[in-house]
Amino acid sequence: MDLEMVKYLADLGKLYFSDEELEENSRQMTSIVELMDTIKEIDISYDPLKDNKNVYLPDLREDKSAPSMPTEKVLQNAVNSGSCFVVPKVVE
Amino acid sequence: MDMKTVKVRELRKLLDEKKVSAGELCEMCFSQIKAADDTYKCYITTTEEIAAEQAKKAQERIDRGESAPLTGIPFAIKDNICTDGVKTTCASKMLEDFVPPYNATVMEKLNEQDIVMLGKTSMDEFAMGGSTQTSAFAKTKNPFDPQRVPGGSSGGSASAVSLGMCAAALGSDTGGSIRQPAAFCGMTGMKPTYGRVSRYGLVAFASSLDQIGPMARDSHDCAVILNAICGFDPHDGTSSKNSVPDFTEKIGKSIKGMKIALPKEFFAEGIDGSIREAVMNAAHTYEELGAQLVECSMPSLKYAVPAYYLIACAEACSNLSRYDGIKYGHRSKVGDSYEELIMHSRAEGFGDEVKRRILLGNYALSSGYYDAYYGKAMALRQLIRQEYNDIFEKCDIILTPTTPTTAYRCDENISDPVKMYQADICTVTVNIAGLPGVSTPCGYDQKGLPIGMSVIGRHFDEATVIQAADAFEKTFERKAPRV
Repeated sequence: MDLEMVKYLADLGKLYFSDEELEENSRQMTSIVELMDTIKEIDISYDPLKDNKNVYLPDLREDKSAPSMPTEKVLQNAVNSGSCFVVPKVVE
Repeated sequence: MDMKTVKVRELRKLLDEKKVSAGELCEMCFSQIKAADDTYKCYITTTEEIAAEQAKKAQERIDRGESAPLTGIPFAIKDNICTDGVKTTCASKMLEDFVPPYNATVMEKLNEQDIVMLGKTSMDEFAMGGSTQTSAFAKTKNPFDPQRVPGGSSGGSASAVSLGMCAAALGSDTGGSIRQPAAFCGMTGMKPTYGRVSRYGLVAFASSLDQIGPMARDSHDCAVILNAICGFDPHDGTSSKNSVPDFTEKIGKSIKGMKIALPKEFFAEGIDGSIREAVMNAAHTYEELGAQLVECSMPSLKYAVPAYYLIACAEACSNLSRYDGIKYGHRSKVGDSYEELIMHSRAEGFGDEVKRRILLGNYALSSGYYDAYYGKAMALRQLIRQEYNDIFEKCDIILTPTTPTTAYRCDENISDPVKMYQADICTVTVNIAGLPGVSTPCGYDQKGLPIGMSVIGRHFDEATVIQAADAFEKTFERKAPRV
């Protein structure tokens, strides 16, 4: 896998890599993709109508409100929070 | 009493007969943790004060004569299961300081029975690995040889059970993460049917494959724990409303006439000779017990590892997109913009293996590659399910090795992701098909390292899986680690 592709995938995954890390990942992803490529030799296709046989989606729940988590609990793991999530300024 | 060998049922009897107290059991486990955990590194967090309070509460319930099957039993919990007020790190710097504001459903269910939680056990970071060596905080060692890996990702739970640092534990299994460390550590681990146990509060890796399950010293103990944690949960839309039996009900019943499938691909080249021999010996033991062995085939097995990694990583890259450094988790001090903050927080918080899997997941899902990789993997998932269905039309259970090798040295394989992935060959199809499976010891290799065999059953037929595993266990002399 070339560096350009690794950089593209890293951007999709919102991951910052140094140049050395990009090189190392390019090498390792090449061998990983070689392993993944073995599935190309079998000629089958996906049938969406047969899918989710092992996902037993129960009946949808009733649309009624239920107690939610208190704000302070929701925010307890956020850094720099007062009564809200704090992010860097996004508008000029 | 040897904490390395005593069963949960035996402890129940001793507690109810007042021959030991919940507090004494808790202390015995902590003295073992203090003596051995510096070497074996099973725990990321120990909760001695909470455990002492829980033991007191459990003892009061026992004294009232109201004990449930797990009241007062000392448990270890894998560190990807949310525990209200107790750090849940997933063995990642990303969640190093994360304190969940709620309990996972399985914790609520165990707490209803008044278990004693000793702490949170180490694992591969975000459950991504089979060695527990990708843990950012505690690289757990094998109880039979501390130079070797305990397996993973639930390696901390497996090693803690084997070493008597708890009586039982919870793990999670996405591609073998309960069964493979159970095999490496010489104990028993069960992955229930997908949907049998609520995933609410289990930090998500691959949502269509993840399942919480029990890890203990035999299948009967696993059944007792499964009884406690299973059932429909309105918080998990994929948990099943199927009726829940008593999973111990078939234990001790004859297995005469049971048809046991042996898919030839699981015994082919790539599986160590000592493992093949031990599992085949177990098969012959079943024959002596009156079961019938049936040879069969699972041709799709050669594609199972890539299919599993494509599906699991595709789901993982989506699940892990929630870690932005803002709502919770590691927040970088680098980066002035919103975008930079997220990229640096994720780069600093995630380890190398997690990043590789995010890259692979994005690759499998990206435009131009989706049909060739993710689409093909989903087609293989259907084929693998079909092949299992065909086998279960003729047989009651399937018997396979749990791992192709016994525990390897800590410095082997770790730097080669492809080798690590290929080692999952015996376990991943069970997750792909959503089936229940248990791994239990069936032998020891020349170095004295444990060998595990897997018993796989039909969807929601855990009771038969446990019945069959228990029947073998009663004929097998299990060894405890010499520590």
